[in-house]
Amino acid sequence: MRAARIVAVGAIAGLVIVLVLSFRYDPHDIRSAAVGKPAPAFALPALEGGGTVELASYRGKVVVVNFWASWCIPCKQEHGALASAWSRYRTADVVLIGILYQDDPDAGREFMRRLGGGWPTAIDGDGRVALGFGVFGIPETFFISPDGVIAGRHIGPIDEETLVAGIEAIRIRAVGR
Amino acid sequence: MSARRVALALAVVALALAVAIGARPQPAGDTERVDAIAAELRCPVCQGLSVRDSPSETARQMRDLVAQRVREGRSDEAIRDEFRRSYGDWVLLAPPATGWTGLIWALPILLVAGGFLVAGGALRRPTGTAATPAPTPAQLAALRERVASEDAE
Repeated sequence: MRAARIVAVGAIAGLVIVLVLSFRYDPHDIRSAAVGKPAPAFALPALEGGGTVELASYRGKVVVVNFWASWCIPCKQEHGALASAWSRYRTADVVLIGILYQDDPDAGREFMRRLGGGWPTAIDGDGRVALGFGVFGIPETFFISPDGVIAGRHIGPIDEETLVAGIEAIRIRAVGR
Repeated sequence: MSARRVALALAVVALALAVAIGARPQPAGDTERVDAIAAELRCPVCQGLSVRDSPSETARQMRDLVAQRVREGRSDEAIRDEFRRSYGDWVLLAPPATGWTGLIWALPILLVAGGFLVAGGALRRPTGTAATPAPTPAQLAALRERVASEDAE
């Protein structure tokens, strides 16, 4: 009887612990397995002007990779923040790379012409680069440190404050090394 | 043994061999392998759908990648690992039986084992009222005397 009671109390206590831990975790908060790992190398066709956009050519700089599409409304919402960050950092050791994902290149070019931009943008035609980064849905933004490691990720439309915080966190770490 | 019987015996042996060879597990073809791996992968933009079952563009791109890796001769494990590197264990519909996710597999077994232990302990315990001590010779004598006197009445 005593053993059964101990087992029952243990089972209930275990259940309570599991529930408490589970309720603290948001099931919609998807953790990226890519953060902390080297960014997948890519060399993709550029959206404008021909040529390729190659991640390796930006080694030694802070790289912000933003996955987007012209049909994605939140991508339109965040475009102003990306443009502000680009004009703020374009002369510094920071690069913004846009990656057009699951979209028609012509629609992507029209989007950039209409909303403005100017940062390097590439076409991920078969989605391999997005799959390599572990993209769930667009827009999604990755912060890559100068040593090529993914330092952070933001799901959904990003604002300027988050962009600056992500970039500055990497720059501070890079200076500290 | 007649020639007819020998021919019959040979025919039976040949048939048995043909059945045995035919029943051998055949290595899965590329399409079957792609389907099997895609069925194990979770579609990132769906709610609980596998990459095989989802009609989404992302799932199609994942299936294409699986098919390419199969054509390249990669093992199933290597293909699964490629997706795990990007999406973590989350991308597997059946979590691996190691680390924390191993608890999901181990817990039901532990609970059943615990239940058996408790049930076994309960069965071993003597049931009913506690055993009564055997009557002393004096008590027996008194009882016999009482029965005899009641019979005499």
